[in-house]
Amino acid sequence: MFQSLESGETKLSYLAVKICLAVDITLSLKAFRLFFNHEQIRTMSRVKRRTTHPPYWHVLKNNQRTDEKISSDNLRFVQEVIQDKYKNKSPIKGSDLDIEKTEWDPKTKRSGVIARNIGVQHMWEKDGKKVICTVLHVLDNHVIRYVPPEEYAKSVIGAKMFKNRKPLGCLVVGAEASNPERFTRQYCSLFDEVGLLPKKRLARFIVTPNAALPPCTPLTAGHFVIGQAVDVYGKTIDYGFQGVVKRWGFKGGPASHGTTKFHRRGGTIGTGRDKARVWPGQKMPGHMGSERRFNRGLKIVRINMKYNIIYVKGTVPGPTNSIVQIFDTALPRRKFTEAPPHPTYFPPEDGTLPQEDIWDSSLHVFGSPSISV
Amino acid sequence: MLRRAVLQTFRQGLAQSFFKRYAVSLTETTVTHQPIETSDEAGERTVPTQKTGDESGNTVVVAPPEFRFIYPEFLPDPAMERRNRLREKLERMDMLQRRSVIEIPEFYTGSIMAVTVADANSPNKFARFVGICIQRGGSGLRAWFILRNVVDKQGVEILYEMYCPLIQKIEVLRLERRLDESLLYLRDALPEYSTFPMDMEPERRLNNSVVPINPLKVKLRPRPWLERWERQNLQGVEDLNLPQRFYDRAEKVAKPWEKYDLMLHYRKTIPAEEQEKIFAEVHSQLQQQELKRKLRRRRGSDNEY
Repeated sequence: MFQSLESGETKLSYLAVKICLAVDITLSLKAFRLFFNHEQIRTMSRVKRRTTHPPYWHVLKNNQRTDEKISSDNLRFVQEVIQDKYKNKSPIKGSDLDIEKTEWDPKTKRSGVIARNIGVQHMWEKDGKKVICTVLHVLDNHVIRYVPPEEYAKSVIGAKMFKNRKPLGCLVVGAEASNPERFTRQYCSLFDEVGLLPKKRLARFIVTPNAALPPCTPLTAGHFVIGQAVDVYGKTIDYGFQGVVKRWGFKGGPASHGTTKFHRRGGTIGTGRDKARVWPGQKMPGHMGSERRFNRGLKIVRINMKYNIIYVKGTVPGPTNSIVQIFDTALPRRKFTEAPPHPTYFPPEDGTLPQEDIWDSSLHVFGSPSISV
Repeated sequence: MLRRAVLQTFRQGLAQSFFKRYAVSLTETTVTHQPIETSDEAGERTVPTQKTGDESGNTVVVAPPEFRFIYPEFLPDPAMERRNRLREKLERMDMLQRRSVIEIPEFYTGSIMAVTVADANSPNKFARFVGICIQRGGSGLRAWFILRNVVDKQGVEILYEMYCPLIQKIEVLRLERRLDESLLYLRDALPEYSTFPMDMEPERRLNNSVVPINPLKVKLRPRPWLERWERQNLQGVEDLNLPQRFYDRAEKVAKPWEKYDLMLHYRKTIPAEEQEKIFAEVHSQLQQQELKRKLRRRRGSDNEY
């Protein structure tokens, strides 16, 4: 809630306060920009931030042949084959899977989860303060494969990752089952061993061997605990080709006072004397966004077990309806002190349904009476 | 000439028929001479819920069409990039939960309302503000409205978020509508049009079924103004008495083709079929809440005697 001022009255004093604040901020920014490390820019400019070609191990995923001339009988036969192959299986209980009973210790790395960012919802804390929460929908995650540490350390990526440290295992998790007709045979073969419908999204999660899960294990919103901190990994919003003002925060030029064609341009790009060339990494217009980023330390404030929804305090990289990965946080001071559902959450065997909607203690539950301060 | 006139009327007729069939926008066709029935009337009608049959012969519960005006914040933001059906459904569930605790009455721009809010800095911990609703917007839990009043010759506007748990009570002291959907011009009007006593009593309406439209034409102060009111096609403002050059410039800058742009209006609104689905979903719970409140009110009035 805010109070706005009448047009005629005390607008001057309000403007004066606004200008003072703006001046303060620009002064501090200028001081920061005086220390310009060319060396660091040069090394960072060599880092490849995005690629458009797929990696060498990539398996062609989508079925390219769209106009196959098959008769309707054969189409029906294909659908029958798919039905037979992926017959409905009963929901997998914890007791069905042979999971070794392992102990949780603070150094355990659990699996992560693939989710979709379905938007933002505003909630309120118990003192009336508004909080912006991102709503994450945990899709139908299933473990596809577990690669033990010794095997993973031999792969190209594993060797690089564990060059000078103890190797860890790798869990391949898939989400969003869909029609096998849409995918190529090579892609469907990834799921043949497990007997699952091919998944649209796949992700690798690095886990310690004690948090390993057998194939076909479902991962749900219950995998996480209320109040824990999570890291969310996603691809940022794609802004396309952007100018220097939006991309790098340049000031541009004056809007009026006779300025000719210099409103949103970069200005000078070098000194002319020192080195007499443009340094690599010079900030210029170009493609902005669509980069893989982590937002770390986001607190889980609400879990809905029925719809598999997690509400996370803060925002998450990427636009609405984009896919993200959620991990237990890597920030040292916000890690677990007590054991979480290890290696993952399973609904209780005796059929008692879990609490549908779990809220953090700091949040105001909507059905409860209004806050009186 | 005749052909052009015929084409024009044809196009207008097309646009109008489109809106009659898919009358979804609050702004365009609904600010007409037809008064809107209130929820009281809807509840007291002999057939409160319209049960239409579908092809299989099963009855499908459909909410009354007034819900679109009484509960406009249940409709989501039409921008397609940010829409997600599951999140909207969860948000509606939360909204209904909040509405079960506090009564958020039916109101429109131009209604005079009083809002009581928990305020730590007030002497008795609650702050009550009376004002005229000049604008309302937002969808879902972000729905808001602005109340305006003139207190001690100082104009004050407060934006309230409808679902904020700090709000203790929302009363509608006078339920009426104005000729415009947004009364922001009251900022440039004479102060008496925005002044309402803080201890105003709720007014009882004689005719409960229809929300009256107040055809008041407001007098503006002399220029300078905060906005170019002559360009905004305001109905509730007296003749602005500006030099002709203002109106000429307004004509040059105007976009008269926008009212024929069907895709523009389609993108700005939720389709009628989806609106029906949404209101059918929340309809039964809202009706239950209304009934409970009515019973409580009747029991309260009985207890007085």
